Amino acid sequence: MKTPLKGTSTSEGTNVSRLAGFGQQYGFILVLLVVVIYFSFAAPFFFSFDNLLAVLHATAPMLVIATGLAVVVFAGKIDISLGSVAFLAAVIGMKLHYEFGVPSQISLVIMVFIGLALGAVNGAIIVGLRINSLVTTLATMIAFRGLALTLTGSQSIALPEEIRVLGNAKVGPIFIDIIIAILALLLMSGVMKNTSFGRQIMAIGNDEDTAERIGINVRHKTFVAFVISGGLAGLGGALAMVQVGSITSFLGQGLEFTAVAVVVIGGISLYGGAGSILPGVLLGAVTLEVVRNGLNQIGADPYLYQIITGIVIFVAIYAFSLQRFRLKSKTTRETKEDYSASKTVTGPTP
Amino acid sequence: MTNSRIVDMSGISKAFPGTVALDDVSLFLDKGEVLGLIGANGAGKSTLVNILAGLLRPDAGVIATDSVRVEFRNPRDSQRAGIAFVQQEIATFATLSVTDNIYITDFPCRGPVIQGNLMRKQAQNMLERLGCNFGADDLIETLSTGDRQMVTIARALMSNPSVLILDEPTSSLSASEKDRLFAVLNQLRTEGVSFIFISHFLTEVFAICDRVMVMRNGTVAGEGSVDQVTMEQAVAWMIGDSVEHQPVQRPHQSSEVVVLKVTGLRRSAVLNDINFTARRGEIIGIWGLMGSGRTELARALVGLDPTDAGSVAIDDGDGLREMRSSKRRALCGYVPEDRRQEGLFLPMSVQRNINMIAMKTLSRFGLLVKRREALLAEQYIDRLGIKVSRRTQLVGTLSGGNQQKVVLARWVAVGPPVYVLDEPMRGLDIGAKAQIRKLISELAAAGTAILVIDSELSELRLVADRYLVMRRGSIIGELDRNSDERTLMALAAGADASS
Repeated sequence: MKTPLKGTSTSEGTNVSRLAGFGQQYGFILVLLVVVIYFSFAAPFFFSFDNLLAVLHATAPMLVIATGLAVVVFAGKIDISLGSVAFLAAVIGMKLHYEFGVPSQISLVIMVFIGLALGAVNGAIIVGLRINSLVTTLATMIAFRGLALTLTGSQSIALPEEIRVLGNAKVGPIFIDIIIAILALLLMSGVMKNTSFGRQIMAIGNDEDTAERIGINVRHKTFVAFVISGGLAGLGGALAMVQVGSITSFLGQGLEFTAVAVVVIGGISLYGGAGSILPGVLLGAVTLEVVRNGLNQIGADPYLYQIITGIVIFVAIYAFSLQRFRLKSKTTRETKEDYSASKTVTGPTP
Repeated sequence: MTNSRIVDMSGISKAFPGTVALDDVSLFLDKGEVLGLIGANGAGKSTLVNILAGLLRPDAGVIATDSVRVEFRNPRDSQRAGIAFVQQEIATFATLSVTDNIYITDFPCRGPVIQGNLMRKQAQNMLERLGCNFGADDLIETLSTGDRQMVTIARALMSNPSVLILDEPTSSLSASEKDRLFAVLNQLRTEGVSFIFISHFLTEVFAICDRVMVMRNGTVAGEGSVDQVTMEQAVAWMIGDSVEHQPVQRPHQSSEVVVLKVTGLRRSAVLNDINFTARRGEIIGIWGLMGSGRTELARALVGLDPTDAGSVAIDDGDGLREMRSSKRRALCGYVPEDRRQEGLFLPMSVQRNINMIAMKTLSRFGLLVKRREALLAEQYIDRLGIKVSRRTQLVGTLSGGNQQKVVLARWVAVGPPVYVLDEPMRGLDIGAKAQIRKLISELAAAGTAILVIDSELSELRLVADRYLVMRRGSIIGELDRNSDERTLMALAAGADASS
């Protein structure tokens, strides 16, 4: 009698969990939808293919950087040095071009490798010295930016013509930085979903001690997560630099916190172990950019953007916590029934 | 059975700061053999298998598998040698699917890509073999504790181990799940898999094992095949042939006034229908083996953990009334198991630690009055005989016994009607233990009800007026102060069920 009863409750549980999972990942689509509908009526140009491309173009560097951050956050860690990594990678890359004659296109590629190296520095400190990731990357956030400012003497660096044109280069109608960002998203989404590394990172984010106990090489995986995050920050820095056309001393400043917002709005738990790169990061980044773009078009006060971003973060977080709460309470109830059932079967020994 | 030693551990020693967990222990395992490893709390069973599983490294001794000497530096080394370990703590990842949890350390890959379909199919087959009625795609967070335990067992079996270590695998399984698990184990045994089976339940051990090995205080107390060893013998080994301590003859002080009444207290998968009362002046020993729910009961009782049903009534001077958990926290003097982590504010002074709860009475207009602080601290340092050089000495620099007195002093300063002491004498030297025992007696004599949890049975017997014996989250028996160790141990280990 117990089996059919339990069978139903289990399949029900699966449905609920699927629903909750859907809600967790896509709940904020509703928020995005409301925003899009509003702007579509308020601004005539808003709902168009060209504007969609403009939105993606503007957010491409953020997409890349937030993707890297997501990998670290999945492992239950945080990296707030990403903006500084982007800045320092761009600065070193261009210095190599101007002062050592490295071809400018090559120096773009080198920026990614510098990002990887800086990520390795973060990872080595966090894993090797067992220092909290927030503290570590807070320190490197300050130090990397300081190093970059020392290198530039806090002067802007103008980019050579052959690189500046890349900022508006397109394949067909699509900007190449959009293509690069989408490729990075697809690649990392695949890595997280379909490789051993990705799923073990998720396990580490769930519970680091348990992961260690059952034999996952936690320190190695965590290190790699920070290296990936740094590498994508280097790439994101290169994209941002090309878009602007020069390296100003503000490059990447505040980027790390926007990236955290993107990740959070995208439904990725800062406690680790939950969320997705696709669609999570994509929709998180697009939501923020859509708000900025729409507000621009209706000529709103630029500070309104910050207020609304704050509200969007709260709404998104609330939607997710609500879904998780429902899922959790459902689980507890099931466990309880199961337990009392098992107890009656076992029976207390006199 | 051929005489092929699949595991041979010899002369294993392991010390932790302050204790010797294992002292020259040897363990062997033949192919296809099921070895039952039993012993009281802290006997060294878990330390021994943790060494075999590569989670701990021994201080001395050699391990050989298949007659080849090996050295396990981490869990992966042990896994590679064909040893799988189902740990006591259920090791699952809530947000991942059942399939991912089963394969998490060793995904089947083609190139870098995980073979999702193959994996799911094999996982589903394994679940069916174990008779689980949940799917391979279900998320762990939707499963019950028992189902999660089955997932960890599935994970261990998936690696086709030649040796499987099961540390308390049945503690969260229902009777039917347990039967299915045993059926699978029996089948695996015919396929030549060997097992080390740790359980507090002697009936289980004697039902499934070929041979039992009993540990006590980090040494092997006895071993033999289940045909030759009786449960009574095993219990005797667990206790040892130490001189049976007579319970202290305290004048029986308990009055008839009930100060604590617990009714139908329940917490899913942890506590099951707990009912008892405690009278003024009474010291109740809560006795049970590890995982029996003793600490969980203490925490639920004092209002630290949520409960699903039941009520706790406490007499705070205005008669016996039902109390909310937030109220209970103030009315139960709780001394937690982990003194350093949960009981004390280590970087603070003795005075601050003692005054922590009584803070309100020490302030005027919301500001603390220095003189009152000093007075209260001095008073209780004096009364409990805490050895300090000055009251502002950091509590972390005190000896264990004096630290424990500080924890107690904090409560004595506010005078709760009920005390709940979880392992109050753990890690103390003999003199300090005697002092804490004396203190407990004095508190009871002053008219409070005291619950004491202690893993050392002989120690518990020196203070308890009566015992509540716990097993699997239930109180399964109540014994009076004259019960001997053997009866208490047998009841807690479930050896009474067969005899």
